[in-house]
Amino acid sequence: MAIVEVRDLEKKYPSFELDKISFTLESGRITGFIGRNGAGKTTTIKSMLGMIRPDAGTVRYFGMPFEGSEADIKKRIGYSTGSVSWYPRKKIRDIADIVKRFYDTWDEAAFRKYLKLFEIDEMKTPLELSEGMKVKANLMLALSHKAEALILDEPTSGLDPFSRNELLNIFLDLKKEGLAVFFSTHIISDIEKCADDIVYISRGKVIAAMAKDDFALQYSHPGESLEETMLRLEGGAIHG
Amino acid sequence: MGKVLLKEMRLGASILTYLFMLFGLMFLLPGYPVLCSAFFVSLGIFQSFQSAREANDIVFSSLLPIAKKDIVKGKYLFVCLIESCAFLLMTLSVALRMTAFSQAAVYRGNELMNANFFALGAACVIFGSFNLIFVGGFFKTAYNIARPFVTFIIVCFIIIFVSEALHHVPGLEKLNAFGTDDIALQLILLAAGIMIFLTMTVLSCKRACRRFETVDL
Repeated sequence: MAIVEVRDLEKKYPSFELDKISFTLESGRITGFIGRNGAGKTTTIKSMLGMIRPDAGTVRYFGMPFEGSEADIKKRIGYSTGSVSWYPRKKIRDIADIVKRFYDTWDEAAFRKYLKLFEIDEMKTPLELSEGMKVKANLMLALSHKAEALILDEPTSGLDPFSRNELLNIFLDLKKEGLAVFFSTHIISDIEKCADDIVYISRGKVIAAMAKDDFALQYSHPGESLEETMLRLEGGAIHG
Repeated sequence: MGKVLLKEMRLGASILTYLFMLFGLMFLLPGYPVLCSAFFVSLGIFQSFQSAREANDIVFSSLLPIAKKDIVKGKYLFVCLIESCAFLLMTLSVALRMTAFSQAAVYRGNELMNANFFALGAACVIFGSFNLIFVGGFFKTAYNIARPFVTFIIVCFIIIFVSEALHHVPGLEKLNAFGTDDIALQLILLAAGIMIFLTMTVLSCKRACRRFETVDL
């Protein structure tokens, strides 16, 4: 079932533009949003969440347009953005205490589970956390309200290999529960490990939005890994 | 909106905002331009906007399950709450000066504007200007606080200067009524000040909601 439908999203800046971005996210599938730095991943994600007003295009969640159903939709999705820290001098406990009030579906047991799993001391402030721990703290908040779709901007950036592995395994568990997981990354091995689908963006354009296996069939040379394929494509094969 | 207001109070607000509310009691100071207290209260609210900006408060709020316009309304609600608390302290001070301290020589011989209901109305106009110029100006970008605050400072001190000067104009001496003198006129001027505050705040909030929809975070 299509959880998120992005259609012909456009956003123009003086030196960059998103050009008719379209893709669909399905429940029970993990989609890796891949592209190099500056390709338009964060702009796309921000447009999907109403943080950036697109010049054209639509975003629908659960069949509803984002505009007009913003609050209801946000209750059903989880979002996290890298290591940005909110309220650096407030305790994690206090931030979480406010966040949980906004969700009828807040799952305190899940929150406690992720606190323990990510080894986060809730009495610490974001200022006292490393970059990787900030990523985990943001993720913990996104994962604790029974979201039906997770939209994560570079969730594995700054994480050590062990934490990254743990996180990707969490994605696989969430997928089994029927969640749609959408995460942006420039780390191709993350996609190789857990993604079912790929949305590949380059210079503001979606080059491919398809199942990972179909992507390999269409773009990879025999014996080529996904990483080698991406490097070749970014090296000129698609823009040549 | 209660949850948004709680978020503002517990996460977004600077402790200075709460402390600066106490400047409302400056209405008790004799021989002092009492309307400066409204400026200091506004300065305290400005501190919250500054610390909230450093804490990525607007982006954090935009991720909560609320509409974008509710972020704006939450800020206005918080600002109005602080202003209302300060206004209560000012009113308390005016009431004390009108009653218990009405015979105090320091108040009887007050050289500057008396702390009366007209002064309270003028304080409302300053708060309304803050909401219109600063809070409304902030939501043009959801980032820039310097320009709208400097503009507010200029307007605020013009209001203070004019309010202090008015009762020296022949025929307008009643604006400086002491205690319960000319109470009907004082109450009318207070009501006018409150109406101006409400009009400025509502207009500013509506415009800020519209502007913020187009701001890219």
